[in-house]
Amino acid sequence: MAAKDAKPSYEEARDELAEIVESLEDGSATLEESLKLWERGEELAKICQEWLDGAKKKLDAAKKPAE
Amino acid sequence: MFETSSQSPAPVRVVSEAIKEYVERLGPIWIEGEISELNERSGGMAFMRLRDTSVDMSLSVMCYKNVLAAVQPLPANARVVIHAKASWFTKNGSLTMSAKEIRQVGVGELLARLEALKGVLAAEGLFSADRKAALPKLPRKVGLICGRNTDAEKDVVENARRRWPAVEFEIREVAVQGAAAVVEVSEALRELESIEDVDVIIITRGGGSFEDLLPFSDESLVRLAASCETPIVSAIGHEKDSPLLDLVADYRASTPTDAAKRVVPDIEQEIADINKIRDRIYRRLVSTIDYELNQIAQLRNRPVMKDPSVMVKVRVDELNALRDRSKRGFKSLLEIEKKEIKGVIAHLRSLSPQSTMDRGYSVVQSDDGKIVRDATKLKAGAVLRIRAAKGEARASVLAEE
Repeated sequence: MAAKDAKPSYEEARDELAEIVESLEDGSATLEESLKLWERGEELAKICQEWLDGAKKKLDAAKKPAE
Repeated sequence: MFETSSQSPAPVRVVSEAIKEYVERLGPIWIEGEISELNERSGGMAFMRLRDTSVDMSLSVMCYKNVLAAVQPLPANARVVIHAKASWFTKNGSLTMSAKEIRQVGVGELLARLEALKGVLAAEGLFSADRKAALPKLPRKVGLICGRNTDAEKDVVENARRRWPAVEFEIREVAVQGAAAVVEVSEALRELESIEDVDVIIITRGGGSFEDLLPFSDESLVRLAASCETPIVSAIGHEKDSPLLDLVADYRASTPTDAAKRVVPDIEQEIADINKIRDRIYRRLVSTIDYELNQIAQLRNRPVMKDPSVMVKVRVDELNALRDRSKRGFKSLLEIEKKEIKGVIAHLRSLSPQSTMDRGYSVVQSDDGKIVRDATKLKAGAVLRIRAAKGEARASVLAEE
């Protein structure tokens, strides 16, 4: 992944992703911008997915010894 | 009195006689208290101590046996009113009240006094519900005031341990009946109140006679309990007994076992509750995560994200459309120009002399290209150009006219 400043929180990443999808959909960006937006969107989507998959794994791990 | 100094001190006998004289000037008075240490000696006299019911003070009392016999049998720790006179014994410098009459204070009277005291305390608001403090959910330490080696103590400790094995007690075993009870219970209460991590105090004793429970209605003890910051649980006697301490306590337990139940939570129940909460948190989190996963999946599935080539295709289409439009635009421009040219040509044609010349006229121009309009001005020998409907020829002027 690109060495961005700090990894954004899940909510930040999700909100930014939603904004990117919206601006891609309304088509007002230039092609060059759109391409950059799309790349950023992919990156954010990956971050979100990793976040959620990780959280789920943690939860499942915590749940097991309790039962 | 008399003057004394280190050089001229008074002998004991003088002082003692002087005290005797002073003391015996006091007339007989009525005194109320509790009898303890009753001692009927072989002679005609009986000795006893008359204790205050609230504080650790007492007087020595003596009387003739027949005075005592008039109120016998007295229960232990009997509350009495005596009519007595102070007597000073010069032999050992002691003061004793000589009682001429002893009367037991009856239960009826005690009850009436309790009711009166209850009324006063109630009027002061000491029993009101908004004074009651909530018991702690889990006290760091439980203060316990009880009799020595009593069932009440065992009941509290065992039941509390059963519910919460790690419970810690600060136990003060004190007299819970008789003259010393108020003093000792009060002292223990003050001490436990001052211990920082004692978060609740239980005062308990088993059932007993009306007189046995009287210390727990003592005004000074009740006021002390009311002034305590630490929440107090009272478990005195049985359900029907209602010492004033019960009214001022933050919680009135029906039995020592009930008190134990009130001061510590049940560990099984707590574990079950925590598991329930954990379960709820887990399910809540899972559903939140699932919801978010779905959100992200939806965002990723939007055409703009899933098929980014759409982004290029839209622009290619746009480009093609523009191209088409420009082509079409150019074509129509050409058409317009063509038409215009045709018009111009036609107009041009309409202005040309060709058609006139077609009918047989010719145009004569001088050598310099000027059209000849006046033949008289031509000189002989001048070269002319003759343009016919078709072709042209050169000619020269033969003669002037």
